[in-house]
Amino acid sequence: MTHQTHPYHMVNPSPWPLTGAMAALLTTSGLAMWFHYNSTQLLIMGLITMLLTMIQWWRDIVRESTFQGHHTTPVQKGLRYGMILFITSEVFFFIGFFWAFYHSSLAPTPELGGHWPPTGISPLDPFEVPLLNTAVLLASGVTITWTHHSLMNANRNETIQALSITIILGLYFTALQAMEYYEAPFTISDGIYGSTFFVATGFHGLHVIIGSSFLLICLFRQVFFHFTPTHHFGFEAAAWYWHFVDVVWLFLYISIYWWGS
Amino acid sequence: MYYKFNGFTQKLVGAAASAAYTPQGLKPLVSTESPALIFGTPTKLASDSPAAVSYLSKNKVPDLQKLFQKADGVPVHLKRGIPDQLLYRTTMALTIGGTIYCLIALYKASQPKSRK
Repeated sequence: MTHQTHPYHMVNPSPWPLTGAMAALLTTSGLAMWFHYNSTQLLIMGLITMLLTMIQWWRDIVRESTFQGHHTTPVQKGLRYGMILFITSEVFFFIGFFWAFYHSSLAPTPELGGHWPPTGISPLDPFEVPLLNTAVLLASGVTITWTHHSLMNANRNETIQALSITIILGLYFTALQAMEYYEAPFTISDGIYGSTFFVATGFHGLHVIIGSSFLLICLFRQVFFHFTPTHHFGFEAAAWYWHFVDVVWLFLYISIYWWGS
Repeated sequence: MYYKFNGFTQKLVGAAASAAYTPQGLKPLVSTESPALIFGTPTKLASDSPAAVSYLSKNKVPDLQKLFQKADGVPVHLKRGIPDQLLYRTTMALTIGGTIYCLIALYKASQPKSRK
């Protein structure tokens, strides 16, 4: 039997990059078919294959790390760099939407009435639900730190409790935001205000859902004993992502909800 | 005194014995980090007091480690056998079928005037 004499991870051949790429093709063409021909078949196929790819690819990573032991220290270092770079790319993604917001709101055109918020727009009161949302996400930042410390101290029950509370807070934020969307007196088609508001907060909400899902996976893994007090990078990656989501909200709240009202 | 190599500063720095016994970059194939063996009911877990949650789950990680480390040449995405195969075949079928459908749809959509 041969053993590797290096600490790196030579991955087994895998079909998921291919299925993922094809899923991207189906999803994008599916969007075009939905927009122009009112047909959702291709889009649904795309989303299903995307979901299947994600499930199996990440399932395999859990198998390779927790069950096969491939995540040595250098491998973990690479994963850390990777997650940091990914989050950085997401930061730039949001910078684009903040740029759009500030471009339009710092110098409002005559068509908008020369002021911001534009004529006819009644913005949401920043000291009502948006402030609650801020408190909810800040609290979730505290509970996720509590989770991490409990995990590092091998305190299984507290880890599970704190992580569950974090996820519940994330879901609470999503529910509150959904209700706000429903009750808002303006829509995405209400000029540049509506566009910037809903695109920026909408993508943020999507990231909250992604972050909550990631945390939920971590909760399952914790219940099934995958994490150890010294090796739990999956959880750390989820925590970094969650803090990023929180920080983006703080910028959204200050810029769009408060200054922009 | 034990030492380890700090990759960031490129210097030797002091370390605890644990770093010497499990040197950086070379971890045993079978993870030795799994929790204490469970002899019977979950009440024997060393790390925590009995509570509702620890009764619900038995630590199956060591068994799964044995399963996934079997030297049978099967790639990791099929290592669990039949359920893996079913999921893989379904995904591939949907993906390839979808791609063919997509190419046909795009071909039809690119025909001028004969379709909307």
